[in-house]
Amino acid sequence: MNRVKITYAFLSALAVAIAMPLVAQAKDLGNGSDPDNDAPLAALEKSAVPNPTDNLITPEKANLGMLLYFDTRMGGDASDSCASCHNPKQGWAFSDPICRGYPGTVHWRNCQTTVNSAYLKKIFWHGSTTSLEAQVFSAALGAVSGNGERDVMESRLQHIPYYVKEFRKVFGSRQPKIQDFARAVAVFERNDLIDTQSPFDKYMRGDKKAMTASAVRGMKVFNGKGNCIECHNGALTTEEKYYNLGVPNPPEWDESGLNQISYRFENYAKGVTEKLYRNTHTDLGLYFQDKEASTKGLFKTPPVRYLSYTAPYMHNGAFFTLEEVVDFYNEGGGTNDPWGTKTKILKPLGLNDKEKADLVAFLEALSGPEVRKDLKKEPKLPEYAPLPNTAYTVLAPNAKYPFYHHPDGSKAAFGPQIMARN
Amino acid sequence: MKKLYSMPLAVASLIAFTVPAQAGQEIGALPAVKYDKAKAALGKRLFFDPRLSGDAAISCASCHNPANQFSEGVDLGKAYPGTRHYRNAPTVVNTAAKKKAGVAWFWDGRIGTSLNDVTRNEITETIVMNMDMRMMQERLKQDPVYVKMFKDVGMGEPSNGKVRKLIPEYLKSLQSKNVPFDQGKLTASAKSGMALFKGKAGCVSCHNGSLFTDGKAHILGVAENPKINSDPLRSVTMHAQYIFLGVQNNANLRFDVGHHVVTKKDDGSDYRSFMTPTLRELKYTAPYMHNGMLATLDDVINFYNNGGGIDPNKDSLMKPLGLSKKEKGDLKAFLLALSGDPLTGPEYVLSSSKIKDLSKPYAAIKNWRKTPN
Repeated sequence: MNRVKITYAFLSALAVAIAMPLVAQAKDLGNGSDPDNDAPLAALEKSAVPNPTDNLITPEKANLGMLLYFDTRMGGDASDSCASCHNPKQGWAFSDPICRGYPGTVHWRNCQTTVNSAYLKKIFWHGSTTSLEAQVFSAALGAVSGNGERDVMESRLQHIPYYVKEFRKVFGSRQPKIQDFARAVAVFERNDLIDTQSPFDKYMRGDKKAMTASAVRGMKVFNGKGNCIECHNGALTTEEKYYNLGVPNPPEWDESGLNQISYRFENYAKGVTEKLYRNTHTDLGLYFQDKEASTKGLFKTPPVRYLSYTAPYMHNGAFFTLEEVVDFYNEGGGTNDPWGTKTKILKPLGLNDKEKADLVAFLEALSGPEVRKDLKKEPKLPEYAPLPNTAYTVLAPNAKYPFYHHPDGSKAAFGPQIMARN
Repeated sequence: MKKLYSMPLAVASLIAFTVPAQAGQEIGALPAVKYDKAKAALGKRLFFDPRLSGDAAISCASCHNPANQFSEGVDLGKAYPGTRHYRNAPTVVNTAAKKKAGVAWFWDGRIGTSLNDVTRNEITETIVMNMDMRMMQERLKQDPVYVKMFKDVGMGEPSNGKVRKLIPEYLKSLQSKNVPFDQGKLTASAKSGMALFKGKAGCVSCHNGSLFTDGKAHILGVAENPKINSDPLRSVTMHAQYIFLGVQNNANLRFDVGHHVVTKKDDGSDYRSFMTPTLRELKYTAPYMHNGMLATLDDVINFYNNGGGIDPNKDSLMKPLGLSKKEKGDLKAFLLALSGDPLTGPEYVLSSSKIKDLSKPYAAIKNWRKTPN
């Protein structure tokens, strides 16, 4: 289903008049019938990982990116890293409904796993960035996430000799540059945080014993009666479009002052109208991105891969188990729909207990072994050191004030001479 | 300048002979600055509130500490967690007078004279309080005490723009009090010191006006603080500023460029130039100079008596002064007479019980879904 937009409505109405093939799309605006071709489920292959020509994958770059991913100095107060929220011990995600945030704050949405993020074309729950490189900065700089600043982070990198050496080798720059931090992290994610070895993937590659009989039945429900395939399709199990499912609001917003602060902050910072700022108490979702009334409360369909490690689920962590998620869909979604934007696709499914259990078994079969389990033990990070060729002070005998000398001790020097070519 | 002090005639004629008097080189009492007391009280709470920093760890008062007459009492400041500062935190007493005197802010003079600008800069500066002011606004709106206080001063609901007006209102209340110099109560020694200040020692060339500063940058040859290079966190902070401010060849610099960040001279002849600081409240604000390298006023006087430090571009005004021991003592007496009472009373400092309130968890707004944001 395409996003319901006024412009689309106009185009569709025009299309109805002049071209029969588009009638289905026009109809969808009214009754939620299936207008688009759903790519069949398929095994996910590592060869399908994008390899952008301006940031090619190399093992050295991936390893550098791995260290940077864990480096707490890549944030505001040097206390948390990418791994603090996209945590290898928690499915490379965070296991609270609402993600922890920067110290002194709390986040406002559920944290998504970085596993298989390499395949995504749109990132974040409302698709606000379109590349891993851009995502790194959104997360590292945002007030409720990393709250870092490019200048300080770049300066920190330049004071860590191991990084100076590695950035020079990997990127050819004289000094570490902050944009290369994001490039290295993106390559680590593309190279290492990939799960293509789920029972489902093996099954689809021909190992018919890889999935249990229950999971195989569950796949039929997924493709048929459950109609999951309508949105969760293709090898990645998402078509990356946006829907409002009526997911209930998180109780944290009612109960916690810190959460209320972050909620208002997001509305204010994302520039909604004053009327919306004053009166909204539900996540506006895609509206933040394109500011069209019809997109209030819409969220991007996430992959259903790697779910075994990434509870709780939905954009605000409303559900702790896959059983709850299946029940939610079986009931035709939720009722939290203040703007009347809930998708018509969701209808009560009438699944019986066996079908529900089979569906859960299939969803579990979409997770392979834990990715880079070894990194649950965090890597040792390279340390700061004074800049090379740093002049030092000595207090000469009988001298009232310290003078600078060159490191070789040869000659007193003060002024522009105290420079070193790195 | 309301009151101008005239030198004793005999001394004046002597000075006139050695140092030609120049326009604008008078010193005088501080003009009183008017402010709104209720707004200043609200600004005071903001000044002491660590929730105005990104991770809620430090407030304005963490570095501008009333115990040190609103300076920090250490050579180099602490800065935001994860960084360490590379400069000395100066007093904020009498800063409201800077505007009238046309004295730009910070040791490098990179911000103009607007307190609103300075407030914004320090709250949002990555190496100082690292705050997204939109987040700050929503934090304030979550605290019923602020909501009431803002309303009571007639400013409606809290916003970041209002904070930028209210902290300056509090800063205006931080004015020197009972300063012997301003009151004309100088001891004989201090009077002699004043004559030296205007004459033989030549201090008045740069330290003039009611704030005792010419608002200009000068190169004195103060030694670099070795901690800046030996402590990577301080070096990180300095170089982060260089990256931010676009300093040429920044990765290879190993010293504080000072006012160069404003003047950006290609030959670096403006390296290590720093704004002339006020001399008021010196009694409480040791250590001295932009990097705290001089521990005591005696050190400072000796430094100038020696003609300053070493620098290829040192200001030509810096020459050995040949002050006698007695003259140094008199000069010091005069400098000390520029300091008033400690501003530690309740009108200047938030009470400890109120400071405790600032670290309580935020209460949830009741019936949130039905309450307009």
